[in-house]
Amino acid sequence: MRSAITPLLVSLLAAAPALAQSATADATKRVSFADETVGREPKTFAPMVGSWVITKEGDRKVLFIDGRVWRRGQPAGGLADKARELYGARNEDFIESIRAFAYYPIAVYKGIDNFENGEISVRFQMVGGALDRCAGILFNVKPNGDYLTVRYNGTEDNVVLWTFNNGVRKFVNRAPTLTPLELGTWHTLRISIHGTSLKSWLDDKPMHDYTLPAPVSGKIGVWSKTDSMIEFDDFTVKPEAK
Amino acid sequence: MRGKRGEEGRGSGAWRSGCAALLLSSLIVSIGSAQSAKKSAACTVNPSDAWVKRQAEWLDDSKHDWKNDSLRTALLAAAGLTAPLKAPAQVGVHVEGREPALGPTAGEMTNQLKSLATTRGSAWPGKSLVGAAGMHAVFLLAERDTGLARVALHRLMEAGPDESLAADVATLEDQFRLSQGRKQIQGTQFKLDASGHVVLAPMEDSAHADMRREGSGLPPFKLGICLARQ
Repeated sequence: MRSAITPLLVSLLAAAPALAQSATADATKRVSFADETVGREPKTFAPMVGSWVITKEGDRKVLFIDGRVWRRGQPAGGLADKARELYGARNEDFIESIRAFAYYPIAVYKGIDNFENGEISVRFQMVGGALDRCAGILFNVKPNGDYLTVRYNGTEDNVVLWTFNNGVRKFVNRAPTLTPLELGTWHTLRISIHGTSLKSWLDDKPMHDYTLPAPVSGKIGVWSKTDSMIEFDDFTVKPEAK
Repeated sequence: MRGKRGEEGRGSGAWRSGCAALLLSSLIVSIGSAQSAKKSAACTVNPSDAWVKRQAEWLDDSKHDWKNDSLRTALLAAAGLTAPLKAPAQVGVHVEGREPALGPTAGEMTNQLKSLATTRGSAWPGKSLVGAAGMHAVFLLAERDTGLARVALHRLMEAGPDESLAADVATLEDQFRLSQGRKQIQGTQFKLDASGHVVLAPMEDSAHADMRREGSGLPPFKLGICLARQ
């Protein structure tokens, strides 16, 4: 009997870390664009403002915000349908807010309804933009269109936290370190949120350690600005329980 | 290429008008017979090209709807420009040491612009204030003064594409980056090597250059290089 139980216990103990890792892996969502169609909008994100398309970079498919076709105040096509898909009957406030301030391209990730705690990261490559070269992580997206973003701006070489309330953008906090990045090279922007604690990193270098006025709760996605041309890849979310 | 320059300029007026004629001919007409037909075609600016049409649309001052005519007039005089400008005003070719001459009031206007750019809440000129030609004059002054370029670039970017010509902003940023020891990103800046040949100044990510240049309303990279080497 003992000889029969022992191998069972050993195998269970051996499997325990694997099971835990599997559970963690299950909670983590990493977006791949491999199955997407080049030249089309992504299936995994809902573009609300700007021209977000799948493009080929080398042998990979990536998400591209194409600032060449940016026009001031122009929401993405099919905004009403996308807002309805995201927010159901509550979509009208969202549409109104987006239309009133369609200056910043955003695409909302469809895979998570409500992000409160955990980590979000994305790889990005600046391709161009005469006026702006911005790559940001969008979070705390509310049904009325309010949101927060931590973004890198290649024309200013900095990482900044911005808030958008009722269509008005307000500066919140600038990371003290200036980090010039070369165009055509890949980098990683990452944020972690635990309650009101917000931290950010650029290529694993700490940028923000900031206390938000209130805990985060809302949808997430990617953010950009005006005529930026940015490629995004490996959008990864690790939600954690409160 | 900086658009049509006036012939009433002082001092180096003859040089300027000669330069204008040379550059205009290089843009609109196919280049000289000594060059091959293939190269000639590659070096021709076609008025129907999207980037030329985009500049033409932006440069249209025919509505005369700018708000500060005296500032516009002063800017044009300082930069040695005559309005209206013809597209393309900006082909994104700046060869170090071959800059066109400015007007005699350039220094004074440069100082005035520096003061405006560094004064919080001041009305930095935009297209709505001084028209398209006035804004191109701002660019011409800024590209000749690193101090002005430093403060003007941020203002020009911040003003957005309705107020600043994206091709001017892109060209100025390239020049400013080089002045700071960084590489250019659009491929608009050239130097003369020891043999007097025009060579491209250091550049990063040339692989995406045409996408960037399209976004900025500049000609394709190949055409830019060709124009620079003429």
